[in-house]
Amino acid sequence: MTDVAIRGLTKRYGAVTAVEDLSFDVPAGQVTGFLGPNGAGKTTTLRMLLGLVQPSAGTALIGGEPYHKLAQPRAEVGAVLEATGFHPGRKGRDHLRVLARAAGLPAGRVAEVLERVGLTSAAGRRVGGYSLGMRQRLALAAALLGDPGLLILDEPGNGLDPAGMASLRELLRGLAAEGRTVLVSSHVLSEAAQTVDRVVIISSGRLRFSGPLTELADTSAVTVTSPQAGDLATVLKASGYEVEMAGNTTLQVQGAGTAKIGLLAAQEGIALSSLGEGPSALEQAFLRLTGGDGGPGASGISAFHTTKEPAK
Amino acid sequence: MNALAQTELLKLRTIRSPWLILSAAPLVIIAGISGIVTSSTRLHQAAAQSDAMAHIGLTSLFTLLFGITAVAGEYRHKTITDTYLSTPARGKVIAAKIGVYTTAGALSGVVTTLAGLVTAAAWWAGKGVPFSWSDSAMWTTIGGGIAWNAAFAAIGVGLGALVRNLVGAVALALAWVALVEGLVGQLIGNLARWLPFNAGQALGGAAKVHVTSGQLPRWGAGVVLVLYTIAFAAAAVTTSMRRDVA
Repeated sequence: MTDVAIRGLTKRYGAVTAVEDLSFDVPAGQVTGFLGPNGAGKTTTLRMLLGLVQPSAGTALIGGEPYHKLAQPRAEVGAVLEATGFHPGRKGRDHLRVLARAAGLPAGRVAEVLERVGLTSAAGRRVGGYSLGMRQRLALAAALLGDPGLLILDEPGNGLDPAGMASLRELLRGLAAEGRTVLVSSHVLSEAAQTVDRVVIISSGRLRFSGPLTELADTSAVTVTSPQAGDLATVLKASGYEVEMAGNTTLQVQGAGTAKIGLLAAQEGIALSSLGEGPSALEQAFLRLTGGDGGPGASGISAFHTTKEPAK
Repeated sequence: MNALAQTELLKLRTIRSPWLILSAAPLVIIAGISGIVTSSTRLHQAAAQSDAMAHIGLTSLFTLLFGITAVAGEYRHKTITDTYLSTPARGKVIAAKIGVYTTAGALSGVVTTLAGLVTAAAWWAGKGVPFSWSDSAMWTTIGGGIAWNAAFAAIGVGLGALVRNLVGAVALALAWVALVEGLVGQLIGNLARWLPFNAGQALGGAAKVHVTSGQLPRWGAGVVLVLYTIAFAAAAVTTSMRRDVA
């Protein structure tokens, strides 16, 4: 069982602070979603955790040790990073043989992980001819090579079609069921919401939320529309709830459930046109926490927002 | 051989592009020696064999490019991430690469030598001139040429690790050899013989170089190239330790 502890992690590039005083834990044996808009600092954080980028301050520990002190890194941590690449002229199997040799792992592991990700039949081909999906499976095979207790996946959903997304979720659940700790980053909450136990949300390099997914939903707002929105707002405020006017007839209410709001409206004789948590209470919470202004793709509401140009 | 060197060797064995670069060397020497023979009527002169074998050292350009692919090629294809994830001790990775690529550079020099000797012996026989296998000037030139091949492979590894951008490193290397060293040489006069390509020519050139153009003595040139190699290796290791891989 491997856990991750991030404390005061900071990365500055000149005047730009990519990650600022970030602290959170990834408990062992759970799936933790690492969420934030594009450019929030997720990749930088993960690369600091893996010893690829030097922090300006703070620590990132895996099982109590920094990555470079791990006795057998590949057997403890498997990482699928966006920027991981392959030599196009090298065969898939040879790519894994190189990694196995470097990590001192038995050569037999190569065939096992190829089988696991379903690449056995393509293993003899050069990676240059692989599709995006095959490359992602090869990267996953590489991460699983050392049978690690901790898996780190950076935006694994990027560029995947719906079928690919479905198999990714299945895979994450499978890895968790095997007792592995999984840290998976995404800029789209809905991608992770069905799979993760916990979420860590960052925006502009700062921590916005860290805790179980269920707690995140509780922080979300309820949207009410009513022809008497002003009256309803007065009633709700009088009952101690936080209310925000989102238009002439629309209110955003914090801290009250839909049932409570409906009851109060009925007692006061106020007509409601609609009452609900919107398309996704989680998405709302996510948007609110991240400021909703993280640039293109930040909203994550549209299913067609999920693809980003794959790194070449 | 340690595990890291074995890994580097396996990386080399599983791709073709570095070998394509090295395979140009024997082809160039066959062409170069054939050129000398067809344009020269002095095959019977003592220096002719040494002149012909001086081409071996010139193929160091290929071992230099070969060396550059060691680290810069990994950045090009982003395999460097996996390399450093497997071995967080980056200095050891660079050191293993220098070891493997230097050895490969020397072996390339040996293969080039064999191609050169076969070509030369065939031409000499064809022209009816006896080929002297005991020509010590020729063997010294060959030894210097192979050493130059090895040193430039090591310098290439260091250069690639410093520049990291494959195209940039190759452009820099070619510009230096073809243009910059000549220009700088004119500015600094006699000090030019200390520059790497000039030192290489002194190490692997024919006997007459030392007499005619004020080059370093062969052994001195060897020492200078070893120092360049160490300097590039040290710079490559220290910068690779600190730099972010993003």
